[in-house]
Amino acid sequence: MSAPIFLVIFLFQESVMNQLHIPFGGFSVFLIFTLSWCALSTPETGALTGFAAGFLLDVAPHSQGPIGQWTLVLIVIGYGIAYLRYGDDSFRSSPLSLVVIVSIGITVSLLLYIRLGALLGMDLGSTFQLFKTIIGNGLWSLAVTPFLLPVVSRLHANIFETREFA
Amino acid sequence: MRRRGDNRSRLLLVTLIVTSLFFITLDLRGVQVMSGLRTGAQTVLAPFQRVATSAFSPVGNFLSDVVHLGRTRAQLKKLQDQNSQLRSTLIAHKNQDVDVKSLKSILDLAGTAGYKIVNAKVISQGSATSFSQTVTIDAGANMHITRDMTVICGEGLVGVVKIVYPNSSLVMLASDPSFRIGVRVAGSQQIGILSGQGTDHAVLQLLNSQSSVKVGDALVALGSQANKPFVPGVPVGSVSSLSNSSGAISQIADVKYYAHLNSLAVVAVVVHAPVSDPRDALVPKPPVPTPIPTVTIFVTPTPSPSPTK
Repeated sequence: MSAPIFLVIFLFQESVMNQLHIPFGGFSVFLIFTLSWCALSTPETGALTGFAAGFLLDVAPHSQGPIGQWTLVLIVIGYGIAYLRYGDDSFRSSPLSLVVIVSIGITVSLLLYIRLGALLGMDLGSTFQLFKTIIGNGLWSLAVTPFLLPVVSRLHANIFETREFA
Repeated sequence: MRRRGDNRSRLLLVTLIVTSLFFITLDLRGVQVMSGLRTGAQTVLAPFQRVATSAFSPVGNFLSDVVHLGRTRAQLKKLQDQNSQLRSTLIAHKNQDVDVKSLKSILDLAGTAGYKIVNAKVISQGSATSFSQTVTIDAGANMHITRDMTVICGEGLVGVVKIVYPNSSLVMLASDPSFRIGVRVAGSQQIGILSGQGTDHAVLQLLNSQSSVKVGDALVALGSQANKPFVPGVPVGSVSSLSNSSGAISQIADVKYYAHLNSLAVVAVVVHAPVSDPRDALVPKPPVPTPIPTVTIFVTPTPSPSPTK
């Protein structure tokens, strides 16, 4: 049921968001959506969501790494976020904590992706540019997630019939 | 509270991680299926990207411009400065081109006739409030210019030096109402007196009542005694129309000057006349009419279909 939603968000990211030259690295609506979705799900669903979303990011034409790199990163992060959220009741009840955890999750995902890329021998460019992009992405996600969260939560609730935030 | 990480979820996590590592291995080993996936994704995405590019690229450019606003403004200022500098250089070059062209034609004219000339630039036009037609040139006594010397340009006669200053001279233009010059009709050798009218046209009155001119006849300066104020052979103008006044003793004609007296930039003062009269050597050649090509089109009539019953 959630697959078409992810496909639409992926299409939107690849077709529209990539056209906008957002300063300081910009942000990925697809990543924010994925990690927010994972945060609202069980660890199993989080890992499966991370797998599917990571696979989509891997087959995206602009993706530089080998297929499986984003998949591996998002499985770990998706599972981790869902695990953290389910393990702590204070996290579950606070939308602010969700925003923060998604933003940190995105930053860690990018760091993990770069680390994995370095291990696989990818050409990553200058360190300054990489950190600028990662920090910019994290800050942008922190700013954008509060606006996307109600939408993600509503869609998630409609599918899993367990609405948390609206 | 939910129990952390049961066996089922751990098994799933490990399976997914192993699968992704399997993907990475396959892709790094260059398996065709993996590269085919990206090609397929690009094929699916391309139409959407094309539509989005046409719709959102202005927005994207706008965002980029907003980010680089300071840099863009500085660059804009720099480009504007460069533009104005280049514009003034271009104007200067255009002026120089016109001057060079004028000088070349003057030198051609003077070289053909054997005049010794001093080049000068027109530095001032006559005042709009005065009725006299004069210009000031930047050569004076310092360039050995004296009163009553002939002034020419590439096309022909301009006027005559009236007042000489140390570094400049005042030239009376041929269009001045008080200007008079003896002219000769090139070819027929008839002579007459040309009078300025304050415009780019002058009036010619032939001296011989029996002679006549026709439209298009070229007039050259007859020359004065001791070559002052006019040297012989300078082209003056051409007959543009004839005046049929029954009361006139001799024929009167309207003459258009060769020189564009309202837009003079570079002129030359003839400081020494040639040893021999150049006669009609300086008369400009009439333009050769270019033949108009005729095109013949052959049309073969097609038989019209006969009406069927």
